[in-house]
Amino acid sequence: MSKLFAGIVTGSLLLASGALAAELPGTFKGVTIDAKLIGGQQYEALYARIAEWEKATGAKVNILSKKNHFELDKEIKSDIATGNISWCVGSNHSSFAPQYPDIYTDLAVILPKTEIAAFVPSTIKAATLGGKLVMLPRAQFDVSALYYQKSLYQDDAKKKAFKEKYGYDLTPPDTWQQVADQAAFFSHPPDFYGTQFAGKEEAINGRFYEMLVAEGGEYLDKDGKPAFNSDAGVRALDWFVKLYKAKAVPAGTTNYLWDDLGQGFASGTIALNLDWPGWANFFNDPKSSKVAGNVGVKVQPAGSSGKRTGWSGFHGFSVTESCAHKDAAASLVWFLTNEDSQKLEAGAGPLPTRTAVWDWDIAQAATDPYKKEVLGAFQAAATHAFAVPQTPSWIEISNAVYPELQAAILGDKSSKDALDTAAKKATQILEDAGAL
Amino acid sequence: MNENSKARATALTLSIIHKIALFLAMTIICLPGLWIVLASFRPTVEIMAKPPVWVPQDLSFDAYVAMFSGVGQGGIPVIEYFRNSLIISVTSTVIALAIGMAGGYAFARFRFRAKSAIFLGLMLTRTVPGIALSLPLFFVYSRLGIIDTHFGLIMAYVALNVPFTIWLIDGFFRQVPKDLAEAAQIDGCTRWQAFWQVEFPLAGPGIASSGIFAFLTSWNEFALASQLTRSVNSKTLPVGLLDYTAEFTIDWRGMCALAVVMIIPALVLTFIVQKHLVSGLTSGAVKG
Amino acid sequence: MKGWRPPAPFILLLPAIVVLAAVVIVPLVLSLYSSFTAFRLTQPASLYTLIGFRNYQRILTDIEFWAAFGRTVLLLTIALNLEMLLGLGLAMLVEKATSGQRLLRTIMMFPMMFSPILVGFQFKFMFNDNIGLVNNTLQSLGLSSQAIPWLIDGTLAFIAILVAEIWSSTSVFAILILAGLLAMPKEPIEAARVDGCTPWQTFRYVTWPFIMPFAYIAMTIRSLDVARAYDIVKIMTDGGPAKRTELLWTLISRTAYADARMGVANAMAYVAILLSIVFTAYFFRKLSAARTQIAAEW
Repeated sequence: MSKLFAGIVTGSLLLASGALAAELPGTFKGVTIDAKLIGGQQYEALYARIAEWEKATGAKVNILSKKNHFELDKEIKSDIATGNISWCVGSNHSSFAPQYPDIYTDLAVILPKTEIAAFVPSTIKAATLGGKLVMLPRAQFDVSALYYQKSLYQDDAKKKAFKEKYGYDLTPPDTWQQVADQAAFFSHPPDFYGTQFAGKEEAINGRFYEMLVAEGGEYLDKDGKPAFNSDAGVRALDWFVKLYKAKAVPAGTTNYLWDDLGQGFASGTIALNLDWPGWANFFNDPKSSKVAGNVGVKVQPAGSSGKRTGWSGFHGFSVTESCAHKDAAASLVWFLTNEDSQKLEAGAGPLPTRTAVWDWDIAQAATDPYKKEVLGAFQAAATHAFAVPQTPSWIEISNAVYPELQAAILGDKSSKDALDTAAKKATQILEDAGAL
Repeated sequence: MNENSKARATALTLSIIHKIALFLAMTIICLPGLWIVLASFRPTVEIMAKPPVWVPQDLSFDAYVAMFSGVGQGGIPVIEYFRNSLIISVTSTVIALAIGMAGGYAFARFRFRAKSAIFLGLMLTRTVPGIALSLPLFFVYSRLGIIDTHFGLIMAYVALNVPFTIWLIDGFFRQVPKDLAEAAQIDGCTRWQAFWQVEFPLAGPGIASSGIFAFLTSWNEFALASQLTRSVNSKTLPVGLLDYTAEFTIDWRGMCALAVVMIIPALVLTFIVQKHLVSGLTSGAVKG
Repeated sequence: MKGWRPPAPFILLLPAIVVLAAVVIVPLVLSLYSSFTAFRLTQPASLYTLIGFRNYQRILTDIEFWAAFGRTVLLLTIALNLEMLLGLGLAMLVEKATSGQRLLRTIMMFPMMFSPILVGFQFKFMFNDNIGLVNNTLQSLGLSSQAIPWLIDGTLAFIAILVAEIWSSTSVFAILILAGLLAMPKEPIEAARVDGCTPWQTFRYVTWPFIMPFAYIAMTIRSLDVARAYDIVKIMTDGGPAKRTELLWTLISRTAYADARMGVANAMAYVAILLSIVFTAYFFRKLSAARTQIAAEW
């Protein structure tokens, strides 16, 4: 009798501590989960696994929409505005997540601790907003490392000329100052450029942000006030300005987004390229790239403070607060980010966010020297990674700041003027949002 | 004699200049389009090459094959998109023409109060840019529960096309002499019969030409479609183009291939009806 | 027992009015209301915070808004006029052709098959400074040894956008003007020739007055439809760099969705709508004037 009682108590305790504690993925017969997923070739291979989850749990997944990232953001905002959060699972991204803090539930409450501990801790930290774990990261972790053309560093004439001019050996750069020197050295426009950078929208703001951190500055101070118009900020922005002035970057760079940069490096006209892991295979594939076989990858350089750049972001899945079957939804999210799922995605190139999958990935690459180099570089890069400031206004601030950064880069304004104006606008945005 | 040959020489020169100018103009019009078609057959490394590769070295149907393969192998649900586009464009064109015929007939054949004001008012609804309309429309649609349905998008496109079809069809009906219909009525036809047997056939080519405008507008529209569609239930081809973009990458070759799939039906349709198009516009539009 | 029968034109116009009311007017009323609120997309409750004319005050005193406004007007003016001239030229070339009319007309309409969003991608790639078709051509032909920053330099970017816009929309003018040319009676031209008019005089005093209404129709249609250019600009430059190519539409869309400040965006949208109305009404008046000139009944 008392044994039975004890059994019931433990049972209900288990239930209380989270319905999923017993066995993932669990069974959810007759439950239908509505989902909004990020679309696009790179992301969709994973969704073939949804059928397996349906089979294992008896639940059904109903995909409400599949769109690219920015369109999905628009859609989720429209849903919030019309009070239409009737769906359960949504794709999410670390840069966008702070904008919708209230709609997503805390996954740490629903999922067992051991499962969450299997992820890379810094990533889990970045996915935790206001104490809530709002998303579980999939194997789409992004931090930039430096791609370069190997042959440039094997040319003795170049080595000699460089040493004479700059007084140190020509090797793949380890600081941003060296990048600037070498970029100027390699450039001969309009056929070849030393480097390039993303020039608009959140992209340039993100690049500026990481350079600012590498220069020892901070974007928002500890009271949450914009602080990027500091000396470090001016140094950071000047780095971009000088390269542009020296014509060491393509003149169109302020209109470039990621796709232009990737295509540019693949066209063989760029020496050094700070870029994302998603391009590694593209750059080394003779079908898509002229530099295939000639690509080196190295951990991203450091700024004058000795800190390396490392603006990072990642994709993941979230469960809505209004979801009727949070446990089933959480199980789906877990399934899409579990070891097998991450192996599937990481196998195609992107970086995993589970520690065990990192190890697996590196073991897989043992026989392929290029892949080994890539993974080594990005593993090092990931240790220096940091997320964007966790303010709901990040994207809005980016939109206000980037035209000012562009104005400085193009020479319309001095760096200091541009940053002061940008800081004023950012302050106004934060005040409007009630954050200051 | 001398005079004559001189005149002939001038005429010949003029004709040659005309041919060259025509050729140049057509080349300029075609080049950007053909460049897209070509890009869909070339590997990315060749499209983005520098120095440029002018003579294609390596043509293949890879992008098309990939497009139709399953998810995960570079495929997109192109058949669904195509079906949605076709259903939505055709249905909205037909409805817009029906409403346009009713409205155009009213303006052409009746006198009523505030006629020009109503006419101008109808036209002005078309000036609202899609981007300004998209969110409020989304509000209304989500209350009605018609987000991501064919019906929702068809309604939107009908509204988009109605002002223009009314205007054109109004002109075409004016072109048909009133006496003809009146004569038919004297012969014992009802007004309804007179319309279908006399006035409609005469205004036919004009109506066909406003149809092609309406069809092309619906077929190519993006701003509203991107807001009102969500999944394969209703996503149209222009929205599908964005499937080739990811956060950091763009598959330009794949996008070009999809573009070709989009352009061909429109081109065929235009080629078929273009005869009516010009004659229809000729007879109607101007005599508003 | 004869009930009230509504007048025929009312019944005939009813479907049009119902559809337009549902899809255009109701949403517009909604957005008019929200332009007087502090509405932010991510905070649905803010839809009920009325703030009077604050949004309007803010944008009307904002230099950047007026810069975008001015740039939009400039773009429209230049684009519409150039499109008309080129469309006229094209139509005359095609009309003079003795054979292959069907093919020529189809080619003439070729750009109309391209979705504006596609036109945006297409011209963005063509005008890429490093690997774009335009610079590659210029460099291969030896006409330029530099990478011309087409989408960066304010003026050049404006030109690049103009080119894309003109390429995609000249067809509309050409097809309508061609219709006008074909409809034109031949006798007046013959008469003018017999009277010894030069080709230019014939064109100026005989042909042009006749096809002018067609040109204005095209103008009106295009000005009703110009916001299509948004898709093109959005992809090509999205208003950048450093706001050098910012137009009303790119500004509105960024404010509305990326910044989530729907209230302000709707206020801007209303100003943009007013602008389109002015353009359209202007061409409508021109059109009526031209119509009376060729003595069409109105």
